Amino acid sequence: MNNTFNEDNPLTRRELIEQMSKVSLATLAMGAPRLLASSPALPVVQPPARADACILIWLAGGMAAPDTLDPKRYHPFAPGLKVANMLSTFPSIDTSVDDIKICAGLENIASVLDRGTLIRSHVQPDLGSILHSRHQYHWHTGYVPPTTVAAPHLGAWMAKVLGPRNTVMPAFVNIGQRLEGVGESEELKAFTTGGFFGSEFGPLNLPYPDQAAQSVRPPQGMDAQRFANRDRLFKQLVDASPNRDVMSDHHHESMVRSLDNAYRLLSSHHRDAFDISLEPKESFEKYNTGRFGQGCLLARRLVEAGSRFVEVTTEYVPFLHFDTHNDGHTTMARMHSEIDQPIAQLVLDLESRGLLERTLVVVASEFSRDALIEGVPGSSARDQARENVEAVSELKHYGLHRHFTGGSSVLLFGGGIKRGFLYGATAPERPLVAVSNPVSIADLHATILNAMGISPRTGYEIEGRPFYVTQDGQGQPVADLFA
Amino acid sequence: MDRWLPSTVAARTKLRVTEKNSLMFRKQYIQRISSILISLLAATSAIAQTPTIDFVHEVVPILKQHCSGCHVGQEIKGGFSLNSRSDVVESGMVDLEHVNESRLLELISSNRQDEQMPPSDRPRLSSAEVDVLRNWLAAELPWNADFSFGKEYYDPPLRPRRIALPPTHAGRNNPIDRILDKYLIDRQLEIPPKVDDQTFLRRATLDLIGLVPTFDEVKRFSQDGSPDKREKLIEQLLARKIDYADHWLTFFNDLLRNDYSGTGFITGGRRQISQWLYEALLTNKPFDQMTRELIAPPTDASRGFIDGIQWRGSTSAGQTLPIQFSQSISQSFLGINMKCASCHDSFIDRWTLKDAYGLGAVYADAPLQLHRCDKPTGQQQTAAWLFPELGQVDPASPRNVRLQQLSLLMTHPDNGRFARTIVNRLWYQLMGRGLVHPLDAMQTQPWNTDLLDYLACELVDKNYDLKAILQLIASSEAYQSASSREPPVKAAGEFVYCGPVARRMTAEQFMDAVWQLTDAAPNTIAAPIFRFDPSQVDVESIKLTGQWIWGTLTNNQSPADESLLIRKTINLQDAVISGGAIVTCDNAFTLYIGNREILSSSDWTQLQSLVLRDLLKVGDNTLVFRVSNGGTAGTLGPAGLYFEARLSLADGSSLAIRSDDSWEFNRDVPQAREGRLSAPNTGWERVSIAEPNVSWNQMLAREGRQKMAVAELQSDRVPAVRASLLKNTPLMQSLGRPIRDQIVSMRPTELTTLEAIDLANEPTLAAAFAQGGDRWSAQVWSSTAELVDSMFVSALSREPSESERKLFAEYLGSHPTPDSISDALWSLCMLPEFMFVR
Repeated sequence: MNNTFNEDNPLTRRELIEQMSKVSLATLAMGAPRLLASSPALPVVQPPARADACILIWLAGGMAAPDTLDPKRYHPFAPGLKVANMLSTFPSIDTSVDDIKICAGLENIASVLDRGTLIRSHVQPDLGSILHSRHQYHWHTGYVPPTTVAAPHLGAWMAKVLGPRNTVMPAFVNIGQRLEGVGESEELKAFTTGGFFGSEFGPLNLPYPDQAAQSVRPPQGMDAQRFANRDRLFKQLVDASPNRDVMSDHHHESMVRSLDNAYRLLSSHHRDAFDISLEPKESFEKYNTGRFGQGCLLARRLVEAGSRFVEVTTEYVPFLHFDTHNDGHTTMARMHSEIDQPIAQLVLDLESRGLLERTLVVVASEFSRDALIEGVPGSSARDQARENVEAVSELKHYGLHRHFTGGSSVLLFGGGIKRGFLYGATAPERPLVAVSNPVSIADLHATILNAMGISPRTGYEIEGRPFYVTQDGQGQPVADLFA
Repeated sequence: MDRWLPSTVAARTKLRVTEKNSLMFRKQYIQRISSILISLLAATSAIAQTPTIDFVHEVVPILKQHCSGCHVGQEIKGGFSLNSRSDVVESGMVDLEHVNESRLLELISSNRQDEQMPPSDRPRLSSAEVDVLRNWLAAELPWNADFSFGKEYYDPPLRPRRIALPPTHAGRNNPIDRILDKYLIDRQLEIPPKVDDQTFLRRATLDLIGLVPTFDEVKRFSQDGSPDKREKLIEQLLARKIDYADHWLTFFNDLLRNDYSGTGFITGGRRQISQWLYEALLTNKPFDQMTRELIAPPTDASRGFIDGIQWRGSTSAGQTLPIQFSQSISQSFLGINMKCASCHDSFIDRWTLKDAYGLGAVYADAPLQLHRCDKPTGQQQTAAWLFPELGQVDPASPRNVRLQQLSLLMTHPDNGRFARTIVNRLWYQLMGRGLVHPLDAMQTQPWNTDLLDYLACELVDKNYDLKAILQLIASSEAYQSASSREPPVKAAGEFVYCGPVARRMTAEQFMDAVWQLTDAAPNTIAAPIFRFDPSQVDVESIKLTGQWIWGTLTNNQSPADESLLIRKTINLQDAVISGGAIVTCDNAFTLYIGNREILSSSDWTQLQSLVLRDLLKVGDNTLVFRVSNGGTAGTLGPAGLYFEARLSLADGSSLAIRSDDSWEFNRDVPQAREGRLSAPNTGWERVSIAEPNVSWNQMLAREGRQKMAVAELQSDRVPAVRASLLKNTPLMQSLGRPIRDQIVSMRPTELTTLEAIDLANEPTLAAAFAQGGDRWSAQVWSSTAELVDSMFVSALSREPSESERKLFAEYLGSHPTPDSISDALWSLCMLPEFMFVR
């Protein structure tokens, strides 16, 4: 998995340049993006990679930090409860790290906190109007939509810059998010792509983990023998074709090679990684809290088999899951039970397999929530609350229902990240904004990329303009987070 | 990896030392540098990527600041010219084998006053700048193909240039051939041979109407012995109006970022131009007129292009709607990348921040605050057009007048840039590579300026008739010659023409071709368009029976400022399979269906037509019109809403809906929010019937029946569904159909592994091939050989070779099963020969 060359590399410089200029001429011809070279005035030095793979656990919909990883004053529900007293709706519990408490319901995550770092000061701009898909676009690409060119997803950057770890395995896999038939799906599609890098670097989308195996199987109704026969017929036909020389060898070869790669994945043991039903029952059950839990299991299997970047999400559907616009406390209790065991088990499994050191696990969400306050103080975002409520009378009003960008929590495990470490803090009383060490999206991305061995100033030239992996190349890794 | 030398200081110090040392030491040093370079290059990328020096942003500024005074353009002091890459290479000043021995580096690093460059009375290059140039040399002088110091930037003359055609060679009389034959002969290149009839048929059919020729078409064309059969075929293909429109819709949807789903629609921040666009293609509307209607929309139907995409919330200064307008207009019609200049003066061409904002201010409601890199500069920019030599937009005029002025300037016959940009795009579609390439960089020197200018002048002379240009190109020997086998780009980015370049089918062409073979096209289209040839409509049979309605009328008039809601609830027993409506309102209306804004117009003289198929559901549907009168405040004037719809339902029944006295109005008119309107529940009264005036009657008589006929009659005779008329699917996206959030004028050319996985097992595609197996096996074949021949002709437009026939015959056996036929069809469709227009 070492993508760099050492001095023993047999390629001479001339050969290297020749190879590269061939590629560059081909890419120039299609107006494809070109990697920007390091400038001596401001060198792009790729940091040493601390991780080879990245799993992004995306708690979509705006996970309320005070009800999960950043507990505040707790008052149980009682009719007439003052909203002023409704900061957390869950009591706090101890964790495996002294001085860190998180919310009850996340006992398993609490037990593995000593393996990673908890950031409590992740902040986002409110963008004038807090729209989930817009903030998710920003979080996943580092750019605020609309953008002048199609911005690549963070996973596409890794696929492009680092390439696949295993040539048969798709470098970028996206688990759990349906892109058809759900609200804001067009907006979700807009960032779930390879962007200007093209579809090769885009995701393999697996919305249903238990059906993932089907996406790498021969078509329905076609057995292995027929599938192999079909492939053989195709290859014989290619060889027999009298017209194989009418297009450049480059196109012909790359097309046939791609089809062969696909055949190899679909007919090889690598596809077993996609089949979670092959997981031993005991292990399967540890993850099986539903689609999300199964997604975590699938993510682990894919990383074991050589995927570069895997995102697994609780799924964004407007007003569902972590998008707790009403009945927040009850919904959150369900979400706790959905995420707690699988996330912890993923960390433990990676650790027991010796993979955690070289795998970065990131747990994040597009923003946090608060009982009433919209955005950060002084925000231009329109208040989604139409009426000012001072007290809650029914259980369904008990919970954190309003979008809040002033301070959210992120978990990082593995990939050279400190263990048992707490970074940043939010205020103990409203407004619950980050009061120390705020971490922006650009800086969080820079940190993730740094662990993966990618400089935040890595850029490509597209349409004659530079485009960087963090906005304008400005992201700065948070050095304190690395062990 | 050794990381000691990225430090530029270390490198420079070492260099000085080595110069005083032995040759041996120097060689070691150079080897060291080389290996470090490799490491550096490698460290920034895997092998698949191309580290390049950012020539334009890094190297050019240094050369401009320090060297251009004496070594560019006419200035070639000391015989050293920076005008082009070859000038530099041939100057003897650089040694690409031994970079550090280059005289150029020696001079710019030298401390000797008598030799150093720049001369001693001028500022020195910083060490970082020297290192940039050293890396530039080490990377073998990357140089943007479109860049030359000779002129500051290649700046094509604006006005169309008429050229004298070279003499005819070997009887090849098409003007394109006269120009290209000269090009080839001058360069001692071979004139590519003519392709056979079958290859030509397939190429022309795919290029002009996006389909693969059918078995019968292949046979008919092969058997046609007339000498002008290619000419006739081109004419016939271009005359297939619906097929032509279906195919070119893809091209224009990409160019105008129009789609049937996508971002922005959710909050009413975007609207389609599909119906307008499709009609323009059906009727071959002249391109200058199309452009004028896009820039200064006469009705809402073509408004979506300039209105861009608005996401809810705040955007950066470089993506406001006026700046999107500036970027879109520039890119689509002029091949100008205004995205650079939207933030700062461009580094790659002559456009400045003021230019970008000036164009944006044509669209904006007020002069724009100039922002540089998202920060306000304190300056204001009023409306201005990019080429004042043709005239100027009057910033004092109202917005619609400014847009009119801009549309006329854009399509001014002397605006050669406009004509060149579109003919270059058409050339690319048919020939696989632009005369200027990439297509959206029209500041680039064309590889054949004469040909580009010739085509541009032809377009203007033929009144911007796009089909005429397509016909001209397709008729040329050049188009009808064998595809180039060479990679399209030679050394240093220079293109050498050797014939057409094979190009990959678009996602839409591929889907259509598969559906042609398998009969598996979906049943319904998503594009809200009327899809039939308007000239076929029997207008005389149409009777209009709607009435003009309003709220309370006084002497058949209403107050100038009156606004009302007017509604009608329609109950549908079954789904709408076809049908549409016409509507207008004196003075203005906005139509909401299901509380959602559908259509609006403030020009009652423009009768609007509307596809209702996807807008109405089974059960109750309430149409709410927000209507308003106009005129001088305090006066009364005529006011009326006219609506008429004809629908065909899935149960075979038909339904007419028209404005009459059963409709209701309401004086309570709430504000719409983000394209949604919540109509009040109470306060509804019956409407009054307005007595139509002469103008209303004339307007309806003029186009009412025509438009009603179009709306009503598009039904049973609809041709097969084409992929261009469907919403984007994961499969099409994978095959390269863009998400049209940005303008994308060129599709990807490579087949990727992720696409290949979809081609191997994507369920809808697999189902299509399964259906194809059933379809072909249901037919009666005299022998397997006949089946095989038929499959090859249908898929590849040619008979199989002996070895292919044998291979397939063996695979299929004497009793081909649906499964084996399906797999054989799949294999044919996976061939590069199938997937490329060659």
